[in-house]
Amino acid sequence: MTTSSSSSLSLASTSTWVSTTSVSSSGKRIQREMVELNMDPPPDCSAGPKGDNLYHWVATIIGPPGTPYEGGIYFLDITFPSDYPFQPPKVVFRTRVFHCNVDSSGNVSLEIIKDNWSPALTITKVLLAIRSIFTKPDPYNPLVPGIARLYLADKAKHDELASEWTLRFAK
Amino acid sequence: MVSDSITNVSIPSAPINNNNARDLGKKKRARSAKLKQCKLDVRREQWLSQGAVKNKDCKEEQHAGLQGRRERNNHRSLVMGPRDGENVGSIHHQHQHQHHHDSDLDSNSPSSFTSSVLGSHDSETIFTGSSSSSSSSGGCCSGNITEDDDDGCLDDWEAVADALAADEKPKNQSSEPPREHEPITQLVPPRQIENSKPQCARAMAKAWRPDDAFRPQSLPNLAKQLSLPNSNVKRDGGVPWACNSVVSPPSSCPICYEDLDLTDTSFLPCLCGFRLCLFCHKTILEGDGRCPGCRKPYENDPVEAETTVHGGSLTFRLPRSCSMITRS
Repeated sequence: MTTSSSSSLSLASTSTWVSTTSVSSSGKRIQREMVELNMDPPPDCSAGPKGDNLYHWVATIIGPPGTPYEGGIYFLDITFPSDYPFQPPKVVFRTRVFHCNVDSSGNVSLEIIKDNWSPALTITKVLLAIRSIFTKPDPYNPLVPGIARLYLADKAKHDELASEWTLRFAK
Repeated sequence: MVSDSITNVSIPSAPINNNNARDLGKKKRARSAKLKQCKLDVRREQWLSQGAVKNKDCKEEQHAGLQGRRERNNHRSLVMGPRDGENVGSIHHQHQHQHHHDSDLDSNSPSSFTSSVLGSHDSETIFTGSSSSSSSSGGCCSGNITEDDDDGCLDDWEAVADALAADEKPKNQSSEPPREHEPITQLVPPRQIENSKPQCARAMAKAWRPDDAFRPQSLPNLAKQLSLPNSNVKRDGGVPWACNSVVSPPSSCPICYEDLDLTDTSFLPCLCGFRLCLFCHKTILEGDGRCPGCRKPYENDPVEAETTVHGGSLTFRLPRSCSMITRS
């Protein structure tokens, strides 16, 4: 009796939570993405809600091998807007990284989570895209022009600094 | 002199009478020939709507009554028959005989159904609103019999689809009466085809649900039938998505993960083939208005773009877009 009442209570509380946010469609979508991410996680990536708020996630990306970021564990905050997926999620690096497309406050310059966002994209694809900028930085659309210049002028020096940062901040 | 005058009077009058009689006969014959063109359509419609036999029976009783009155024939007692009994078939043969008397053109009359309706062409305007079958027969009587004969081979499966989509017909009727008076016959056959094809596609989507027991056997043949001969030949603009719609309609909206209903599955806003539900499509249109699949901007008014290409799609696409607006 007590268990059934408590379960119904919890059900009621979740439903009211969804309705109070009045974005049940985005909630359903995010929930589905979470399930699919857990069932078929992309390589070297993981993501999930930070607490009990479905709209705030934390994600980790492991620096891909063969790059100066190899072995580093990079934490990212993902914030879903209430009109997700019609607006892109906000993705911010919480781990410092020496990268021309990630600025000192962790913002990422990635077209698909800005102007080229499509509602058909998922967090899985976003994480894979972020992982791909570790292997292929885009120095022509940089957030940190100094690093981009170093990358183009002296890649060895750039890689050395990047792996140094990986050791310092990401391990 | 007197006799002369009499002959002078009688001779001109007699040819006039004869001419009048002949003209009347000609008119009648021409009229019946014209009506005969209609009756093939009417017959098809009636065959399609055999599900509504009751309705049809009562309608034909009315036809029979009007016919009898119009022809002022001695078979009136026989015409009265269907009002009393249900033996409609035999009465139809009586009507057919009457038409053989009327004009010799009836020699190719295919069945008794058609002749019974032929006699009541005048009454079609009266019946237009009364039942779906009678009003649709009125819509088809615009003189496109040759096209219909060519389509005869398609009738079998088209008919099934039409019958399945019979509930959609009243919607289509609203646009048909004005077209009926248009003298252009070229416009009519494409319209008829366009009207029937989407209904087929939708009806098939309905019929081939995964839980349908007959799906595995019938799906390959019918899919071929729809995508190859019809969509390629007769749908000038809609080939890519017509194929897509048959092959792989997603079961849920890729944007909001809600299940797609029948309206959503037949909704294709972008030529790239990316499908989504109407709610998400509307939300995207309110935003940047780009297709999630190809990131190209949606055409400003896909509904109108569609109707300019296939004129017949207008009738069922418009209500959908309206409902999309009212729902939100």
